[in-house]
Amino acid sequence: MKKQWLSITLGIVTATGGFLDAGTIATAGEAGAKFGLGLIWAVIVATIAVIMLVEMVGRFSAVSKKTYAEAIRENLGFRFYLFPLISELIAESLMLAAELGGISISISLLTGIPWHTLFPFVAIGIWILAWRAPFSLIENGPALLGLATLAFIAGIIALGGVPTHLFPTLWHPDFQQGTGADYLYLVAAILGSTISPYLLHFYSSGAREESWSTSSLILNRVTAIMGMGFGSMGAIALVVLSAIVLQPLQIGSSTLGELGLVLAKPFGVIGTYLFAIALFATCLGAALEVLLAVSYNIAQGFGWEWGEDKKPAEAARFNLVITIFLLIAVVIGLIGIDPLKLALFASTVIALFLPISLAPFLILMNDKQYLGEHTNGRFTNIVMVCILIMALLVAIVSLPLEIITGGG
Amino acid sequence: MKNPGQADSMEKLDEETFSIRDILDSQLLTSDGRRIGRVADIEAEVDKHGTFRLTSLVMGPQALAGRVNSSLATLLGFLLRDRFENQIPISEVKKFGPTLELRGKAEEYSVGQSDRWIAQHILRWIPGSGI
Repeated sequence: MKKQWLSITLGIVTATGGFLDAGTIATAGEAGAKFGLGLIWAVIVATIAVIMLVEMVGRFSAVSKKTYAEAIRENLGFRFYLFPLISELIAESLMLAAELGGISISISLLTGIPWHTLFPFVAIGIWILAWRAPFSLIENGPALLGLATLAFIAGIIALGGVPTHLFPTLWHPDFQQGTGADYLYLVAAILGSTISPYLLHFYSSGAREESWSTSSLILNRVTAIMGMGFGSMGAIALVVLSAIVLQPLQIGSSTLGELGLVLAKPFGVIGTYLFAIALFATCLGAALEVLLAVSYNIAQGFGWEWGEDKKPAEAARFNLVITIFLLIAVVIGLIGIDPLKLALFASTVIALFLPISLAPFLILMNDKQYLGEHTNGRFTNIVMVCILIMALLVAIVSLPLEIITGGG
Repeated sequence: MKNPGQADSMEKLDEETFSIRDILDSQLLTSDGRRIGRVADIEAEVDKHGTFRLTSLVMGPQALAGRVNSSLATLLGFLLRDRFENQIPISEVKKFGPTLELRGKAEEYSVGQSDRWIAQHILRWIPGSGI
């Protein structure tokens, strides 16, 4: 039992990597800089959704002993399995490129070397970790570094708390002319960056690698709430900090590196380093999670050997997928789009695809054959469907507008 | 299983009603505990009594394409010419269920050799592959 409670770290790393990643840092930073506290509601809605989803997928794998991808293929068939698979391949390859860019920028902030130069080396480093590192290292390493995100909260305190003039922006954001589309785009990006389908594959595979059972259900609930709550707190703190520091500067469109100002103002040079470490930890965790999640998804869906603790030769097809998918992301990254813009775009694309990638999951969560008495309640189903439809609508409206206006 | 004779499982097949849905997409697990793939399609024949009888499990890109769209299957058939299609006779199945347990080891089936082929021809050039 003690060991089970220790696996709460699975939740925290899933949160650091899955909740806080290049997508969240980009969206939260942009949201605060452009609209003050006016988008915190979207972070809260997304948090509720992701807590519910993580709880569900943990419950599913603990009770049915199946991962999410296995169950889609077995229960809904190959054709139905392809829809979420293709949508995830498109969205997650963009996101992986953004995470690699985020890691490069964080190292660039620490060393002064341009991030474009660092990018290929970062990709090789990630590949080595995914190729040979055991699951426990991937799980625990970034979780510890992820504590650096607490610096966002410390930053708010060091700057004397939230100024009272910001409070009205909570419900009455500061719209300037022509920023309506930006606002919707950020709502979609916040939902997409938080409610990421790769989380579900990573989490359900992790639950299987750690052999969860029905007795893990309470642990699962605690992990979902604590882990995602921790991630959400970091994201909200960054929105607030960005509203305090960046909004008055009126930077129209920023880069991931410029977001470092939010900690440079309260803590000086040390703040820049703290920001770099937080960015490094969250993007590293997320890059590994996205890469593994996509490879888990494919290997499980096609019934191949998989597992991080096996040698590459023992799960050859799984490891080949890891390598190819990483190469695709590297090619996307080498186009040279700023990782912040890429992360915003990838998050909105994920939001657009959310109903496709999560509809099969909701069907399975109501299947007594898999879950017996542990199926979803009606309230949970209604809340999830509403949030997915909202993400889809906001993404449909804002994505074309952003592409026309050139983004950012 | 002490006497997993071939006739046993065939009789069992006759007695229990299996729907095609139970077998399609099922995980294939070999006797040495390796996951080698999933059932993409099945082959059946009509016996002298006029009943359908499952003969083999089919794996491969063409069979999978057939599940999605028939013209896609024709296109892949033209390009690949059955090169990657594999069949396993139904008599090789020791135990039915969500996971189909096979009598032989991974090496005894052509689809079970894919991991080894990739390891020996591609991964061996990469350091740290454990070969």
